[in-house]
Amino acid sequence: MRQVQTPPVPHAQGEPGPDRPEPPSRAARGAGQGLRRSDRRFGYWAIAPAVVLLLAITAFPLLYNLWDSFHHVDYLNPSTLGKFAGLGNYKALVTNNLFVPSLERTLGFTAVSVVVELVIGMALALALNQRFRGRGLVRAAVFIPWAVPTVVSGMLWKSMFDPQTGFVNYILTVLHLPLAHATWLDGTYTGWAAILIADAWRNTPFMAILLLAGLQVIPAELYEAARLDGASVWKAFRHVTLPMLKPALMVALIFRTLSSFLIFDVISAMTSGGPGTSTQALAYLNWQAIIQDSNFGFAAAISVALMIMTLIIAAGYLRIFRPDYTR
Amino acid sequence: MKYMSCKPTRRDRRRSTRRGVVFAAGTAAIVLTAGACGSSSAATPPASSQVPASAKQTIVFATDGLGSEGKATDAAVAAFEKANPNIHVQVLALSPTSNVALNQLDQRFISGSSTPDVIYLDVIRPVQFAQSGWLANLNKFHVPTSTFFPAQMATGEYKGGVYAVPWFINAEGVYYRTDLVKTPPKTPAQLVADARSLLATHPSLKEGFAFEGAEYEGAVTAFQSMGGNIASSTLSNINNSSNLATLTFMYDAIHKYHISPSAVTTWEESNVQNAWLSGQTPFALNWPYLFQLSEAAGSPVAGKTGWIPFPSATGKPQASLGGADLAINAKSTHQAAAWKFIQYLTSIPAQVTRAINAGDPPSVKAAYTAHLYSVAPYYRQEQAVYAAAVPRPITPVYSNISTDIQTMISSVLAGQESPAAALKSTAPQVAQLQATVR
Repeated sequence: MRQVQTPPVPHAQGEPGPDRPEPPSRAARGAGQGLRRSDRRFGYWAIAPAVVLLLAITAFPLLYNLWDSFHHVDYLNPSTLGKFAGLGNYKALVTNNLFVPSLERTLGFTAVSVVVELVIGMALALALNQRFRGRGLVRAAVFIPWAVPTVVSGMLWKSMFDPQTGFVNYILTVLHLPLAHATWLDGTYTGWAAILIADAWRNTPFMAILLLAGLQVIPAELYEAARLDGASVWKAFRHVTLPMLKPALMVALIFRTLSSFLIFDVISAMTSGGPGTSTQALAYLNWQAIIQDSNFGFAAAISVALMIMTLIIAAGYLRIFRPDYTR
Repeated sequence: MKYMSCKPTRRDRRRSTRRGVVFAAGTAAIVLTAGACGSSSAATPPASSQVPASAKQTIVFATDGLGSEGKATDAAVAAFEKANPNIHVQVLALSPTSNVALNQLDQRFISGSSTPDVIYLDVIRPVQFAQSGWLANLNKFHVPTSTFFPAQMATGEYKGGVYAVPWFINAEGVYYRTDLVKTPPKTPAQLVADARSLLATHPSLKEGFAFEGAEYEGAVTAFQSMGGNIASSTLSNINNSSNLATLTFMYDAIHKYHISPSAVTTWEESNVQNAWLSGQTPFALNWPYLFQLSEAAGSPVAGKTGWIPFPSATGKPQASLGGADLAINAKSTHQAAAWKFIQYLTSIPAQVTRAINAGDPPSVKAAYTAHLYSVAPYYRQEQAVYAAAVPRPITPVYSNISTDIQTMISSVLAGQESPAAALKSTAPQVAQLQATVR
């Protein structure tokens, strides 16, 4: 039998997982029962400010946005301002010739960028999890790009891709590689490639950090056991590392997928959605509707659509990574 | 407000109603605020709430400007306060990036704020803001409209009212190297021929003609300066011969004549400025601020800089009008003092001082004085460009129209669409936007 036995999926230290129900703690059991009435009342008052604050900064904008999306809130059209629009703004999503192409581009970019970042991030995390001299230094160095603000990295890459003075074409020329004379940001595919590189450069380290954290909690004994059972490196990765990495992988994928899906700043800094509309992503369209066109109603409909899609993506991941009870 | 229930929704029977009360109270407070925000309408303060100009007061002036422009503004404010000790001017600094500044102003106006009182606006904005009901009609102050360059004055007028007053003018023209180009070109074809022969004979030149072709507002002004006809009256159909010729010229400059590098499709003004100041191009399209930099000590193009409107095939050159206007917040209660401040900023001495110290060309025609020419002789040459200035379409939906035109130019320069096809597909979009204006 070569199959390595996998223990139940562990969770970060101290956090009870949904798959491993813990007996309710004393404090949890006590809430509402063990406490005196006045204590309970005090408790509610004590959390009230936090609840109100949370509602004010999360629920309120969300609902306000929802309200906007069903109304005419176009500041260039004050006569209809605040009037009920029904599904008009949502209808415009479909009839507007920009939304659907933007959605397709955004989905395409999200899929490619997440896969690229996952593969490189995983490789980085595995490498950084090995013992070698100067590991601390290398780890720190790898994470530097992530500390650079996105807009700054966008501007940086824009100048790197400049056809006359940029580093990218220079190095391609020196190495006699194709695309040495490309005007990267002036083509649909080269533009997206440049955006992908800039985005991956900054965000792959983030993926790597999360995966590395996941790798570090895998007990070394499991690998020893796998080795004793004669598992190859690949088999050990496939049957020990990957299953044990599931929680970290889920967090990393959800984070990265959602932020790729909502990509805005790199595009704004590098291509402004051009050439034409070929690098316009959904969040960029949303920004344009608010800032340039001051049409808050339509923009709100875009935001709501974005929100629903992000919820679907997140729910999809949660389902895929649902703990497996059958084993 | 159906979307938010005030009833506690949790079905847990053990929960006390008190908890529900707290939750509902918080929720209700938030919903009420939402309702209040949603129904705010534009109401002008009654005349009785206006503070007279003679009273002691503070007005807020929203303006951008870094470096020499910011310093010139501070100096002007100090001089105004000295002459009017009862009025204190507080400067609210806006972002130097036009879009961000717009966002900052939008937020204040949408919230119905009575400040800033005086607002600096790019010439493309006043009509949009006036349409939204955010600007005070200045007719009551009897604005001396004839003292300004008419093209810029038009950017502040809307539906019979004056909503903004020109502060300083700007127009985009072609810089040329007087040491390389003996007689400035009279037609686009001549410019191409000059650029090509110079590129062939001068290895130090990297390109023949630099312009900003990135997908942003600058592409529209470049397009207009090179002959594009997008006057307000053409918006119902911008598919005209001037636009076709201009788009074709821009495309050809890159892909056929090779006088402009393909990099210009990602260039903004600052990139054009760098190309010009490094002496690598004999022709460059840019705004007047570059003249002052070109003539500065240590500049490789000092004493070799000339500036003309872009040569026209039809013999009637045009230059895209830029510049800044000043407006008053419709909800300001300090309108009299605000107007006094605007009068000061547009007075001849203040205009000349700003022109000399910050390089901002006066919007008042009479400010082009012998004194100004003696200190900054290039203003003499610049006047030819201002005389050719044409405004971008004066319409409240300009932002939206500009987005479409930017997309059109960008897809043509990238070779995604032919000039004719791009014009054909963009014209109905622009017409449709313009048709929404009531």
